[in-house]
Amino acid sequence: MAEEALAKVDKICQERDSRAKELKGEGKKVVGYFCAYVPAEILTAAGLVPYRITGNINEPISKADAYVETIMCPFVRNCFDKAIRGEYSFLNGFIVPHSCDNVVKIYDIWKYNLKPEYSHFLNVPHTTTKASMEFFKAELGTFKKSIEDLVGREISSGELNDAIKLHNEQRALIKELYEFRKQDPPLISGSEVMKTMVAISKIPVQDSNDLLKGVISDIKGRSSSPFAKLPRLMIYGPEIDDVPFIEMVEETGANVVIDDICLGTKSHWWDVEITPDPLDGIAEAYLDKINCSRTYRQRWGTRDEDLDSRFGYLRRFAQDYNVNGVFLYIIKYCDNYEFDAIDIKDYLEKAGFPGLVVEGDYTAMSIEWLKTRVQAFLEMVS
Amino acid sequence: MAKDQSAGVPRNGQLDNDSTTFKSVEKERWTMDSQQKSILGDVSARTIKTTEAARKVRAFTKGISQKAHEAAAAGEPIAYCFIMSLHDEILRSMDITPIWTENYAAISSVKRQAERFISKAEADGYARDLCTYCTINIGFDALRQECGGIPPESPDGGMEKPTVMLGTGMMICDPRYKSYQIAQRYSDVPMYVHGLLWPPADAKVAEVQDYYVKYLTEELRGLVDFLEKHTNKKMDWDRLNDTIDLSNRTIQVWHDAYELRKAVPAPMPTEDAMNTMVPGHFWMGTQQAFDFYQDLYNELKQRVADKVGVIPEEKYRILWAAGLPPWFALAIFNYFESLGAVFPMETTYHPPVPVEIPSSAKHPLERLAWRFFRQWTYRHEAAQRRSGDPAVEQVLDMIEDYKIDGILAHRAATCRTVHVGQIHLMNVLKDYCNLPTLILESDICDVQAFDDAGTMAKIDSFVDLLEANKQTKRNA
Repeated sequence: MAEEALAKVDKICQERDSRAKELKGEGKKVVGYFCAYVPAEILTAAGLVPYRITGNINEPISKADAYVETIMCPFVRNCFDKAIRGEYSFLNGFIVPHSCDNVVKIYDIWKYNLKPEYSHFLNVPHTTTKASMEFFKAELGTFKKSIEDLVGREISSGELNDAIKLHNEQRALIKELYEFRKQDPPLISGSEVMKTMVAISKIPVQDSNDLLKGVISDIKGRSSSPFAKLPRLMIYGPEIDDVPFIEMVEETGANVVIDDICLGTKSHWWDVEITPDPLDGIAEAYLDKINCSRTYRQRWGTRDEDLDSRFGYLRRFAQDYNVNGVFLYIIKYCDNYEFDAIDIKDYLEKAGFPGLVVEGDYTAMSIEWLKTRVQAFLEMVS
Repeated sequence: MAKDQSAGVPRNGQLDNDSTTFKSVEKERWTMDSQQKSILGDVSARTIKTTEAARKVRAFTKGISQKAHEAAAAGEPIAYCFIMSLHDEILRSMDITPIWTENYAAISSVKRQAERFISKAEADGYARDLCTYCTINIGFDALRQECGGIPPESPDGGMEKPTVMLGTGMMICDPRYKSYQIAQRYSDVPMYVHGLLWPPADAKVAEVQDYYVKYLTEELRGLVDFLEKHTNKKMDWDRLNDTIDLSNRTIQVWHDAYELRKAVPAPMPTEDAMNTMVPGHFWMGTQQAFDFYQDLYNELKQRVADKVGVIPEEKYRILWAAGLPPWFALAIFNYFESLGAVFPMETTYHPPVPVEIPSSAKHPLERLAWRFFRQWTYRHEAAQRRSGDPAVEQVLDMIEDYKIDGILAHRAATCRTVHVGQIHLMNVLKDYCNLPTLILESDICDVQAFDDAGTMAKIDSFVDLLEANKQTKRNA
């Protein structure tokens, strides 16, 4: 039976901008955003098309060197390179959250050189205290106002709640999709999931929910796993949107069965609660529910308890998806992830899950270099 | 009675012998000969300081460690912290001794002790491309744990084990809190992070200031609560208000002293400023810091009146426009000077601008919050009128005020916080002024990142460009 939804996923991944451009042609405004910290719910409620900015590891940097330093996160540089080459000229605007130093730095550079119709910097506290929550809600109010100015009308609470429900539905569908990964061998491959996650980040949430339902239906149509029984791996890392990395790992002899990456569970493993003031629910979800190394939760208890509080969700992923090992795939100059990697590796190994820290530079070439290390690691966990 | 928090610093601190190679070479130092080339060729050479004030600074840096050793011996609380995080007045007012870990990293670099700490961190899994302030601290802490005490031959007697670690979640510089999470592998002590945010350059400041200041105030309150809980010290709010008053006076006189540097010839160079920032950034809230800048002010005033410059014949005036310095190779300034170029001013470690704290702000934490907010939004309005970038505005102001002929930045390979954005800064500046620019590349603390010959070649070419630019202007 033809797997139509998965074929559509492939098509979107090959032409990532096609739907956004089509909608722009119909008069919609498309707004690009970086990172997991921008509440797409507000964009959806305003009738905008949210478009997650990603790079392309197969395209070497050609123009960005004249604008940004080589010591910057290569993912962010790659995204900017695409922009300065005109590949993001269809965006009406862009939003940068205060997520990490690299992302913060790109805001001024992008705005000055590309002069978009709309731009906004969303300040996100690094801490999750009560004061931080109140601040973030106020900051979301400023953000919402700027979006209202862009679309020329107010966004009602009803519209926001409707958008929250749509995005919560998307998250529920993603969790349902991930359930297929629990079988051994899994019913869906890691690269198929990765492609799906890339695809849904490029289309409106309504479209993405239809697509996810189609993919789930496709996978349900598989009477048995088309994949071999191989070591089961978890991938941990930051802004990974490069399907070839997952493909390389799987071709080397593994099944990638769970992730903690920005396009994966990090952005989708939680819900926004419907609250009387919708911004309360959004603030709480985006500030406190995203497990990213850039957020500091005040330490309590012993160091072991603190580590469990910070990384216990990874241990639970490893247990729930019955993994044999964990790849910690760090993109060079991603300081926050680099700082955490050793603690996470030690923590998971203590829990019985061997780990390997590898560093890539967001190029196709670096994936080839990593292959040998992946092979050695797989031999170990096998 | 409150203790004097700056008791570790001699009032008229004298520079110890090992901290400088300054000698009575005033006549010889300007001669361009092969020996001077070797000052940069041998990166172990130290910078030659110009002002008396700069020569007194070593006592302040030594005093940081000394004070911590005394606190440790007495069982008094010690806090790891980073600069520019609003810790200064709060810690001083609670008799908690700060260890400024990045300062210790810089000292280690100057003393050629950095490598063993960086290597230790690297051996424990922390890459060399992480901030070397942090990898030095991580490596030091790891060795301190292994040794069961201060590692032998540590500069200034090493860093004492802290009672608490204090990070900050700022707009930039994530390592300020991430590196302390790592340091806890080796020193399992309580840690607290408070948020310090300011709005982006395109924000409507008046519309957001209330919730920003409220946030800053509440985060500081959380910090004080944490310190009271974990150090057995109580905050004396009146004392904090007095300390803030003293800091404000210190900021003002520091600012006024630097205003005198607009004079031609330049009375004080950037290599001195990389030292004279120490009392302001590491001893703020003490009488000694105030006295230091008062003395500096008096010294500079006299030098300006006497038309005493950094070098006898000042051909080119260069602005240090961005980047932390290579602490192990401050002699680059002396190399510039040997070519007739002087740095009259710098953006790095520049004193905070004196701002008015609203009279409605009565609580000391609110006063700190307002001061911080206004300092970090000081140039937003000007930026929105012109370049869009407060950093560009600061540089443009300095180009005019300090009669600048060329612009230099230093890119440290391991720090994204300060060193990503320099190309953009230079690009934007070109839209508003036409001056030669140069970006040197190495690191803040890792001497292995320094290319001696390449740096000299770049400097030579840059100075040639400055001369050509001057010729063009003269012929126009």
